[in-house]
Amino acid sequence: MKNNNSQKHKAIRILSESKDNKLVTHLNSCVHCGLCAESCIYYLTTKDEKFIPARKVDLISSLYQRYCTFTGKHFPFLTGARNLNEEIIDEMVDQLFGACTLCGRCNMHCSVGVDISYVVRAGREILSEMGFVPATLQSTVNAAIQTGNNMSIPVEEFTDTLSWLEEDLRDEVNDPHASIPLNVQNTNILYTLNPREPKFFPLSISAMAKIFYAAKESWTLSTSMYDVTNYAYYTSDNNEAAVIAERLYNEMLKLKAKRCVLAECGHGSRAFRWEAPNYLRKSFPFEVITSVELLVEYISKGRIKLDKNLNKETITLHDPCNLVREGGIIEQQRYILRNAANNFIEMTPYGIDNFCCGGGGGQLSMSEYNERRMKIAEIKTEQIRKTGAAIVATPCHNCVDQLIQIDNKFKLGVKIKTLAEIVADAIVLE
Amino acid sequence: MTYYQLISLIAFLICFLSLSYHFFRLVRLGLPKDYSRKTGNLKSAVTYSFTGAMNPLKKESAYLHLPTYTAGILYHTGTFISIVLFFLFFFDIKLSFALRLILICVLIVSGISGIGIFIKRTITKKLRLLSNPDDYISNLIVTVFQIFTLIALFQESFIPYYFICAALLFLYLPLGKLKHSLYFFAARYHLGFYYGWRRVWPVKSNKQIK
Repeated sequence: MKNNNSQKHKAIRILSESKDNKLVTHLNSCVHCGLCAESCIYYLTTKDEKFIPARKVDLISSLYQRYCTFTGKHFPFLTGARNLNEEIIDEMVDQLFGACTLCGRCNMHCSVGVDISYVVRAGREILSEMGFVPATLQSTVNAAIQTGNNMSIPVEEFTDTLSWLEEDLRDEVNDPHASIPLNVQNTNILYTLNPREPKFFPLSISAMAKIFYAAKESWTLSTSMYDVTNYAYYTSDNNEAAVIAERLYNEMLKLKAKRCVLAECGHGSRAFRWEAPNYLRKSFPFEVITSVELLVEYISKGRIKLDKNLNKETITLHDPCNLVREGGIIEQQRYILRNAANNFIEMTPYGIDNFCCGGGGGQLSMSEYNERRMKIAEIKTEQIRKTGAAIVATPCHNCVDQLIQIDNKFKLGVKIKTLAEIVADAIVLE
Repeated sequence: MTYYQLISLIAFLICFLSLSYHFFRLVRLGLPKDYSRKTGNLKSAVTYSFTGAMNPLKKESAYLHLPTYTAGILYHTGTFISIVLFFLFFFDIKLSFALRLILICVLIVSGISGIGIFIKRTITKKLRLLSNPDDYISNLIVTVFQIFTLIALFQESFIPYYFICAALLFLYLPLGKLKHSLYFFAARYHLGFYYGWRRVWPVKSNKQIK
């Protein structure tokens, strides 16, 4: 083992000194029935038994058994209790980082009710404590901590991009005063971005800017902290996750915005809305909502007018796991598509039963598992193919990336769009 | 009180105290604390976790595996009945012939289910790789307990062996996976809390937003 004993002991303390009722409960609950297998995209596409969710839980609970229970300490063979050694660490890295998207689908279908992805995150935390996070994933976290955004985009490049997007916006809405406000204080909304937007998908920023313009919204972007993502959520390094979360929290306080609106990013939404208050151990004095909810608000209150005939092609929806199953945003995106598109068709299954696209859990950052990631994408590919849709909408930039790769590899011939892009295409300016 | 009743009583008390330790440890750790803003209804979500979410039509672990799921339900029903019967036997409460006959039939079915689950665990590669000795022992000891209960229902001379078997079950229960008799409820509570906090549960029809 390349790490010393003190690291090992610190890692074990995550289990042995846990004050977490939930973790203790779930580590004691799995009955090894194996019925979770068919809920996991890794098992479904490979039929490899090591990918059964219960086996991932077992990796962590076997350590818990060994170091925290009477039976595991004295009769380890009985419950399969294992020592923390190189062998199990290799298995943990491969299965907890390389074979789990933290999609949470197995949780819902577990016969007992084990929160499997929660246990997997505890396993990732153990690995993180010992320094076994895959370097590719860790480098994304490091970039965010060192530069303020996970793609290390310099401020000048960011403002240049926004500058030409602003010019485009003025042309499109035919208003020389239309703007993309930066670092404005006391606005109603501080809007965040996934760094992939300024880097690769600037049109989604344009789309949202057009929507804000149509809704006559008081909003701003921050040049110093706009990154909605938090990849430390995936590494389960709670200290680093807190550092990243606190920056956005502080930016909200600095700019005195009333609401923090999270861009279309599944894990980013989850990390800041649901996890960040717990990383920072405080309730936020401002409202945090997703842009999906904001769009619903604009449409339902008549703040933007849409003509669904402007989106004539058949659109299907991919539900991002973190936003839907883990975030409760289930009907909102459907409401938006029913109002913004002429022909919206569901995949099967959908909603909280959806299948992950394969890009979650940090998989898109971990290039060493690319082959596996595209293998598990076969399920999403077939789901999309069966709808016959021309456009796949999804409110998550991580999913957008994976879906684009799916489209390229499996020759689906579909366009991938965010909800903001679809809404912006349907907007009727008055 | 006979010696075998005494043995089973001591074993039961050890089991009860061990499970109480686990229960009070969970109580001491406290309810989940979440600093994020709740958007759902915890009470209805936790209720849903124990009811609607357990609906076999909602769980792949049930509707994709109906024979195993059904066997599991029957097996657990048999276990529950056997535990109740333990107390009836202990206090020498007599049952009518008709009731005994019904219970014998139920326990035959649940015992067969238990054996079936054991065989499946033994011969299915997927389950074999997932299993440790505790999985087999737990399955076996509960199945044997059910069969002994069944025999004791019509053969009074078998009662001493029955109580010894019950004692073994009670002593083994806190050691391994049979602890899920307690943790199952805590797990369902936590799942209900988690999904309820975020308004994922209870699952509503597609009418949340008109």
